[in-house]
Amino acid sequence: MNQTVSAASLALAFGAAMSIAAAPVSAASHGGAMKAETEKCYGVAMKGKNDCKAGAGTSCAGTSKMDHQGNAWSMVPKGTCEKTMSKTSSTGKGQLMEFKEKKA
Amino acid sequence: MSADFADALLATDGGCPPGLTTWNGSAPEKRFAVYRNNVVVGLIDALADSFPVTQALVGEEFFRAMAREFVRAEPPRSPVLALYGDGFGDFIDRFAPVAALPYLADLARLEYLRILAFHAADASPLTQEALGGVLADEAALPLARFALHPSLFVLASAHAVVSLWAAHQAESDARQLAGLDTTRAESALVCRRELAVEAFRIAPGAACFIAALTRDASLGAAVEQALARDADFDLAATLALLLRAGAIVGITTPRRTQA
Repeated sequence: MNQTVSAASLALAFGAAMSIAAAPVSAASHGGAMKAETEKCYGVAMKGKNDCKAGAGTSCAGTSKMDHQGNAWSMVPKGTCEKTMSKTSSTGKGQLMEFKEKKA
Repeated sequence: MSADFADALLATDGGCPPGLTTWNGSAPEKRFAVYRNNVVVGLIDALADSFPVTQALVGEEFFRAMAREFVRAEPPRSPVLALYGDGFGDFIDRFAPVAALPYLADLARLEYLRILAFHAADASPLTQEALGGVLADEAALPLARFALHPSLFVLASAHAVVSLWAAHQAESDARQLAGLDTTRAESALVCRRELAVEAFRIAPGAACFIAALTRDASLGAAVEQALARDADFDLAATLALLLRAGAIVGITTPRRTQA
């Protein structure tokens, strides 16, 4: 076998990978990944604009019946959910969990 | 009878399967035509739900016409509508009217892999302790074999499919699309972590490495294949991405099994 890869170099890379993966996510250490960090945000989607990504036939996307429906969610950039206006939410902002709408 | 009925549902000649009767004496062809239309439109709607970015790239009207051709050529073989569209990418490759959009087939494949990932089985990522145990036995590493998450898929494309897909997501903006070179080769790593399906853009060597692991190649062999494909292959970064994605669910070495 063409021994181009030694056990020691594999162990080195493996160990490095574990420390990279354990470090907090920053753009530089993300290893070429491009997915922005997002969070599920309840109560901020406009009527019929909620997300759902389970494929056809299971579709719940676009089914919310009112603006800012409390059990309908959208994926939003991480950290922005609880800063987004929601007129049905008791906090006045989006929430990370489903909630019961207050009267707008 | 049921084969005749199914064939007639997708026929374009407006015919009606033999032996159909109506309770009130109205024309069976007319009643059957209503049913046929509902079946075909329902399947086109299903494809539109499953391939939203593909639809965005060609426009709704064109997409629906193309989907209609696909529905006739490859009707569902399973009653599970969520998984309909398995062959849509291959169909698009052969569909002459979109020859000018060579990236479209791989984009549809990427959208389909995301659906497969969504519905794949759950599996728990290896713990830090288990990983530490594997690392402790350095000599066994070249022969280690990885079990990857059931939702993990790799798509190697000659086009910028991951960037194209990402540019069509809600959190994106039009500027991402403006400067996009669609002829740049990109590979995608699709994987679900808990309920969120993620798509990462990965280098060609990384795609080759992960694909080799999914074929049950040993770590040493997978690294050699990746280096042969791409001399700049970065093993540590690729393993870190897999760890971060929660994609490594088991490692077997000749002496021990961690799962």
